[in-house]
Amino acid sequence: MRNTIAFLLLSLFVGAAAPAYAAGPEDLVKSMASEVTASVRSLPPGSNGVNPKLTAIIERDLVPRFDFTRISQIAMGRNWMKASQAEQRQITSEFSHLLIRTYSNAINNLRDLDVVVRSTRSNGSDGDVTVRTQMVGRGSPSSIDYSLSNATGSWKVYDVQVEGISLVAAYRDEFTGLVSSDGVAGVIAALKKKNAK
Amino acid sequence: MRLRVKYLPLALLVSFALLGAPVQAAKKPAPAPVTQAEPEPEILDPFEPFNRGVFMFNEAFDAVITTPVKFLYTNLLPEPLRRGIGNVIGNLDDVYIGVNHGLQGQGNLAGNDFGRVLINTTLGLGGLFDVASDMGLAKGKGDYGVTLGVWGVGPGPYLVLPVLGVSTVRDTVGRGLRIASDPRTYLEPITGYSLSGAEYVHVRSSNSSTEDLISSSSLDKYRFTRSLFLQRRDALISAAKQGN
Repeated sequence: MRNTIAFLLLSLFVGAAAPAYAAGPEDLVKSMASEVTASVRSLPPGSNGVNPKLTAIIERDLVPRFDFTRISQIAMGRNWMKASQAEQRQITSEFSHLLIRTYSNAINNLRDLDVVVRSTRSNGSDGDVTVRTQMVGRGSPSSIDYSLSNATGSWKVYDVQVEGISLVAAYRDEFTGLVSSDGVAGVIAALKKKNAK
Repeated sequence: MRLRVKYLPLALLVSFALLGAPVQAAKKPAPAPVTQAEPEPEILDPFEPFNRGVFMFNEAFDAVITTPVKFLYTNLLPEPLRRGIGNVIGNLDDVYIGVNHGLQGQGNLAGNDFGRVLINTTLGLGGLFDVASDMGLAKGKGDYGVTLGVWGVGPGPYLVLPVLGVSTVRDTVGRGLRIASDPRTYLEPITGYSLSGAEYVHVRSSNSSTEDLISSSSLDKYRFTRSLFLQRRDALISAAKQGN
């Protein structure tokens, strides 16, 4: 009995440690890309649009490697401090939901593309790094850069730039507009409305 | 007359560069790309009320005209034919990418672009097939707007053009230069407009998945589109400055 419990506890630790590895940011991006690619290819072809299986892949392979609080904070910019802690949590939860949905639409393209890690460079003095990758396949390759931070003790992604475009920056522009017209509550309401669709 | 028209774009470009804005082509070190942009980026959109009006008009135009035409185009024409049409458009575009790489002083890239045109026009049967890509000559990027940006011309205010969509003052000038230097502009109007219309339908069809993504993920589509477009233009110009 005690052995069983010990085994269970051990496997729990191993399980919990697995996504966090001591590995560097480049390995994280590499394994994330290869796992997601493999999962997407294992789906039957023609599964487009919002697909529960794709969402499941994202929940398993991507979500643990993203720092959604930091992402929400960047997207809110200086308005983050105007939100109460409860509002911050609400924004984080609604916004991550929306991002997951957005990525599940985009990720289907990985079916005929491969991700190649090109380089990793430091992002200034705060220890953040950017891992630059390329998606290669048909047509001209497109660049995808992941910004990662080790602030929480394990490397986590806080921004993704596709061809130099940051989705988080685009959301910041929207959030700024919503806060100035309807306050922080306006952001939460808009996110909820979008997610309900 | 034709000859004079040929030099119009170059003359315009030169005068624009001399009069309009500081030329920074000699300034090499590009600023480190902003990944986080902690300070809120300034977005120059003094015409926002007007732009939003045009944006709404364009949305309605898309719903009533572009979407049905796109539907017919993708459903009536088989995929290989559509890809061929895309290649022909791309082949003409390569000429302009080459011209712009030349204007940016990127001789090697221009050589690559013109090499592509040569190969695709001959071996690729008038541009129907993109054999140059298969031979390892990658397709370049750029247009007159990017060249102006590389020369140091700022974007100016954001603009939404009727039907044509998102732009800036600089990129509208770039578009004007492209139109002025496009052979289709000097064909008889019916042929010219038909060819431009065909390109419009093709480009809009091939952007469908991106457009769907924007619609499904944006809270304020006007602001979202504006940010994506301005970021994209900045990225293209930074890349061009670094010789990519």
